[in-house]
Amino acid sequence: MPMLANSPNHFLASLSPTDADLLRPHLKSLTLAQGAFIYKAEDLIERVYFPHTGVISLIVGLTSGQFVEAGMLGRNGVIGAGAPLDGSIALNSAIAQVGSSGITVETGVLKHLVRESETLRISLVRHDQIVSAHTQQVAACNALHELEERLSRWLLQTRDLLMSDTLPLTQEFLSQMLGVQRSSVTLVACKLQDAGLIRYRRGRIQVLDVEGLQDSCCECYAAINAHFHRLVGWSPDAAARHAAAEH
Amino acid sequence: MARYYFHIKDGADLIRDPEGTELSTPDDARLQALRSARELWADAIKSGRELAADAVVIADEHGRTLTFVPMNEALPKRTK
Repeated sequence: MPMLANSPNHFLASLSPTDADLLRPHLKSLTLAQGAFIYKAEDLIERVYFPHTGVISLIVGLTSGQFVEAGMLGRNGVIGAGAPLDGSIALNSAIAQVGSSGITVETGVLKHLVRESETLRISLVRHDQIVSAHTQQVAACNALHELEERLSRWLLQTRDLLMSDTLPLTQEFLSQMLGVQRSSVTLVACKLQDAGLIRYRRGRIQVLDVEGLQDSCCECYAAINAHFHRLVGWSPDAAARHAAAEH
Repeated sequence: MARYYFHIKDGADLIRDPEGTELSTPDDARLQALRSARELWADAIKSGRELAADAVVIADEHGRTLTFVPMNEALPKRTK
């Protein structure tokens, strides 16, 4: 297992050497195909997931069969951070929006380790809080902001997590995540394309103009990034610079 | 199951749905087009912008137009 300080996952990379030593013997690799669930609502969360790549959507399902995305995480976060803090019943579902690989630790093991290390416990609390801060912002965004702003925010967030301008997403998936009809996505995507901000083809969206997308999105993109920066010290620009330095 | 495409007709323009959606029956496709039309109206009304659509056009995977839902069909009836 490589040094955790160089881990692509922000939580693992930020651990103190002592906490890294505690965790290291228990880490296992995991790969998730696009569309795979990590857990579903009300499941017992048996393992905590630290993504290296890909995007994990936290989704809320309704009895009608519809579901809407409440937030997304990737290399900046922890899936199931609350589970070892006695929150092991899933409050939402976590699905790989884009194929993902990373590291898992069994919830039971982490539950034991957080009793040994207060700093490890605090790190997990903060990563649990960031999910709450993120989903609250998304709730406000979904209620009040227009689709063009929300779609722009969503594309920028996904791009930051994938660290790529090519996003392998279908419009059907986008419409489900944003809780709107397909035609609304078709119309807005067409508008963004005409403005030269993106190019979309079947199953793929290419980001062409990041600053343009930032102008067309709502305040929520910056607000969510500010939450990440304040609570866990992560920002997309720093992550991109770090990744560039690795290569 | 069949794949249906929901294009948006706006004057002489046709904004194409590049992907389509798998649905069981033509009735499901029509219902989806109607829901889309309602949402396009709702967004236009809420934002105070012009409605940039005349109809939602339903096409099959060979590109043939099956039917269309004019935007006016999606408006609710007035009670009085």
